[in-house]
Amino acid sequence: MIKFTNRNLAAPKQMRPVYVVAAGQSDFRKHYPEKKTEELCVEAFRMMALENNLKTSGIQELKGYIHSCYYGHFADHFGDQLLGESVIHDRLGLDPMGNVGIKTGGATGGSAMWMAANAIASGYSDCVLCMGWERMDEVDTWTGNHYISTAADKDFETELGHIYTGYYALMAQRYWKTFGKSAPSFRRTMSKIAVKNRGYACSNPFAQAPARISVEDVENSPIVADPLRFYDACLMSVGASCALLCDEETAYKLSDNPMRFWIAGGSHTLRTADRRHMEIPLLPNERDNKEIAKLYHELKGGDKGGGEKYPGFTGFLAARMAAHYAYEMTGIVDPITDLDLVELHDAFTISDIQTYEDIGIKPYSRGPEYIESGDAYLEVPRDGSFGKNLAGKRGRLPSNLSGGLIGCMHAVGATGIMQIAEVFWQLQNRWSYFHEREEMWTRFGKTKPKDFVNLQVPNAKRGLAISHAGVGSHVTCSILMHPSAVIKK
Amino acid sequence: MSKQAYEFNNSNPNATVLRRLDPMVIEKPRAPIHIHTYGGETPFFKGLTEGRLMATKCANGKCDPSGKEGYFHLPPRVYCPDCSEKMEWHDVTDLARRTAKVHTHITVERPGAFNRVPMPCELISVEIEGVATVIMSQLRGAKPEIGMPIQPEFNTTNPTFTILDLSWVPRR
Ligand SMILES: [Zn+2]
Repeated sequence: MIKFTNRNLAAPKQMRPVYVVAAGQSDFRKHYPEKKTEELCVEAFRMMALENNLKTSGIQELKGYIHSCYYGHFADHFGDQLLGESVIHDRLGLDPMGNVGIKTGGATGGSAMWMAANAIASGYSDCVLCMGWERMDEVDTWTGNHYISTAADKDFETELGHIYTGYYALMAQRYWKTFGKSAPSFRRTMSKIAVKNRGYACSNPFAQAPARISVEDVENSPIVADPLRFYDACLMSVGASCALLCDEETAYKLSDNPMRFWIAGGSHTLRTADRRHMEIPLLPNERDNKEIAKLYHELKGGDKGGGEKYPGFTGFLAARMAAHYAYEMTGIVDPITDLDLVELHDAFTISDIQTYEDIGIKPYSRGPEYIESGDAYLEVPRDGSFGKNLAGKRGRLPSNLSGGLIGCMHAVGATGIMQIAEVFWQLQNRWSYFHEREEMWTRFGKTKPKDFVNLQVPNAKRGLAISHAGVGSHVTCSILMHPSAVIKK
Repeated sequence: MSKQAYEFNNSNPNATVLRRLDPMVIEKPRAPIHIHTYGGETPFFKGLTEGRLMATKCANGKCDPSGKEGYFHLPPRVYCPDCSEKMEWHDVTDLARRTAKVHTHITVERPGAFNRVPMPCELISVEIEGVATVIMSQLRGAKPEIGMPIQPEFNTTNPTFTILDLSWVPRR
């Protein structure tokens, strides 16, 4: 479909408010032979039940509230276990409550939250568990790359090298050459994202790949698929994340500090080949905006045409659609002023930039400005990569304080839930509890670094998380708000 | 006890290799074969083995926009993505020879397991006039550039019966 009616675009409805009440996660590692996937899930569940200031007296009392379960696990062939949902459900001790598995590639965690939220919003359940996990360490990298490539079209794409990064890089190359103009300054912006997210991971005890690196380190790292280098790419991880969602009454029975939750999903073709030309669907901050109308007209090549097609290989239509639905649901107009933090799906530095445009943080073709303005930082770095006028200033919309997929993890089925958990704890003002305390580090066999930075966003009231699959086949957009800061009553 | 040099993709059914004692970690070998059909997309793959590039088009004049605008789909589709009616097959080999261009490209140096494309592989997306879509393929014998005019080549002598039977070279 490339033409829509108002019915297609209608704001999704929640029949009653949905709340996130608690969250938990394991730590994330590339290889995790010490623990089975089931153990990691139970550990995430225990954190959710016992460390979120719930008013229940223990795990068994909490289990007495759970009515249905939504499980995100993407890759059966990696895990080598069909119906893994049933294994996890049994180990969590939640039989015979109903459970269902949800899989939408990299967006699996987001999609599981989408279905979990709908169960609350519809009135089907008053309290649900959403849990996601992934195990990607049973095969070697070559086989792993083949497995991932089977998420491309098996007849028309996978045969071409069995390497998903290549299919992704086709889009990156087009963006790099058209909007990025192959410019060193654009390359530098990409590098800053790789530095930023690995740096934030240094203050996250759950994170797999913390590192203090420089833009030069990124630009000297090996090319994976031009223009993407080693440090531009996300991780492959083992781990689990979970969240507890409730209706209003149950939320306040269980917690004094639950957060309102909205989520919506969009999709687009599996094959990049099938992206047909269409009009750019405008977000609230782009409508009736002469500057935007002029910019988008120019992107298409002006009156002569022949410019960049939309979504072409430069935009993720699924992300735009998910943001459209989520903003319509919540009343968000301008993400930079209406939100306090975001967790984006930084599979690659370049796709992170593309997403800034898709969700309206910056207009199409101007994504790098989000980084270069300093807005994407909690505090703009003083390492010389920014001008004196910006260094040390507070950004307006810090992004991926968890470290994201580049610094923290990409345990596919868990990723989207990890992002929501991080935003949730930020809004609860409990980031420090889960990241700063010495015990959190020793629990995972780590030493808290000397250069640890407090990344709690002061007075954070609203956050967003994007969960994204493949070359943009599925995207969910989640919005969390402190109940005192809800925009659309 | 533990094997130092090992192979994943090990097909010996009797091999249970202990990799680690505590926690106990073992190898689980397998080498499955899938029997796969191209079904209604057969004309495309058969076409490649015969030196023809086959695309589909919606013939439903009421269909908006595929049928009305009458552009081709490549990769082909059995059913129209807009009206869901069956599409018609057309030979677009000549159109591709005259108008195909590189839309974007990438060099693949390190493939995944089971790859059969010679490395390095110049992966390209191909724009063709009158085709609404941008098929992924491979370029041979040149370094690709965005906008480079190209023409299709077909592996008809020793076909693999896969998408690899199609490749592109700079237009002569
Ligand atoms: Zn049609």
